[in-house]
Amino acid sequence: MTSHAGRLCALAASLLAFFVLWAVVAAQPWSPAKAADPRLAALARREQRLRYEARLVRRVVARRYADYRRRYAAYRRALARQRSRAAAARAAAAAAALAPAASPSVRIVTLPPLTITRSS
Amino acid sequence: MERVAFRAMGTDVELLLDAFPSAESDRALARARAELERLEAALSRFRPDSELSALNRFGALRAGRDLVRVTQLALAARARTGGRFDPTVHDALVAAGYDRSFELLANGASTAARAPAACGGRVCVDARTGEIELGEGVRLDLGGIGKGYAVDRACELLAAAGPCLVNAGGDLAVRGGPWPVGVETPQGTLTLELTRGAIATSGTDRRRWTTRGGGEQHHLIDPRTGWPAESDLVQVTVVAGCAVEAEVLAKALFLAGEERALTEADELGAACLLVTADGRVLTAGGLQ
Repeated sequence: MTSHAGRLCALAASLLAFFVLWAVVAAQPWSPAKAADPRLAALARREQRLRYEARLVRRVVARRYADYRRRYAAYRRALARQRSRAAAARAAAAAAALAPAASPSVRIVTLPPLTITRSS
Repeated sequence: MERVAFRAMGTDVELLLDAFPSAESDRALARARAELERLEAALSRFRPDSELSALNRFGALRAGRDLVRVTQLALAARARTGGRFDPTVHDALVAAGYDRSFELLANGASTAARAPAACGGRVCVDARTGEIELGEGVRLDLGGIGKGYAVDRACELLAAAGPCLVNAGGDLAVRGGPWPVGVETPQGTLTLELTRGAIATSGTDRRRWTTRGGGEQHHLIDPRTGWPAESDLVQVTVVAGCAVEAEVLAKALFLAGEERALTEADELGAACLLVTADGRVLTAGGLQ
C-alpha cells in the first residue's frame, strides 16, 4: 500500500463501514419490539366505539326522520282531504242556497198526527 | 223514536228523530237544540245583546254569517213578493204594541199603540265583507224568517242521524218520512202527510194583544200600511221546500187575501191551506 490514492480509498471505505455499523448498532435489531403505548390503544378503542355509536345514532335519526316524513305526508294528505271536503260542503251549501228549494211531498190524510203545528 | 221538547224563540220547540236511542242520536239532538239556541241569540230583536239588536241600535254592523244570510233571504223575499214580505217592519210592530217578547205581552202587560211606522226602507248587505247598513230610521225584525231559517238549519243537523222533524211553533221542517203533521185551524185539526219539505202557518188567530186604548192587535203587519193587516183570511198554511220559503209564502198569501192567494198558490204550485174569516177551509196549489 504505497499509493496515496489507495490509502484514501481505504480510509473512506473504513469511515463508511464505521457509520453503517453505528447505524446497525443504534437500530438494535436484535432487541424485542417495544410494547405499544396503552394510552394510544385506549384512544384507538375509544375512537372505534365513538364511530360505532355515531353509526347507531345516524341510523336512529334516519329511522325517526323517515317516520316523521311518513307521518307528515299522511297529515298533509288528511289536511288536503279535510280542506277539499270543507270546500265541497261550502260549494254545496252555496249551491243549495241559490238553487230553488226541493219540491215538497205532501197530501191530506186521515191519520192521527204525530205533532201539531199552528199559527206562529 | 226520540222526542225532545224545550222552549226557544218564544215558542215550544219539538225535535223528533226516527232512530234508536244511541250516543249518535243524542249528539244530533243536542246539536240541533244548540243550533236553535245559537240562532235565537243572534237573530232575536228581544235580546239586547243579539247581533240583530246591535244592528238596529247602530244602523250598521259587520255581522256574522247567519245574520247576513237571513237578511239577504229576507230582502230577496221582499223583492219577490212585491213588498208583502218585508223585514223592515220592526218599528211598525213596536208602534202596534208588540214591543217586548210575546210571553210578556200575553201576561197582561198591555202597551200603548202609536201611529203606524213606515216600512220598506233601505237595507244594504255586502256579502263579501259581511257588512249590513240600514237606512235612516230603518230597523229589522227577522222573527218569522229567522225562525224558519233556524228550523231549516236544525233539521239539516238532525237529519245526519236519521229521518227527523223539527217543529217550532208555526214553522216545521222534515227530512225523510212520511210524517203525519196536524195543522190546527179554528175548525179543527187537519192532518198532512209530509215526506220532505216544510210547513209554515201564519195567522191572526194567535199572538194577539190588547192595547191600553182597549183595541186588539195582532203581529202580522202589512208593510204597505205599516199597521196590523186586515185580510179576509185568518190563517194560511203553506208547504214548501224549506221553512224559510214556506214562511215567506204564508205571509205573502195572507196579505194577498183569499182570491189572489188562491190564484198565486196555483200559479206557484205552492200547496196551501187557507182559513177564511167566515170559517171556510180551502186548499190550493195542488194540495189534496
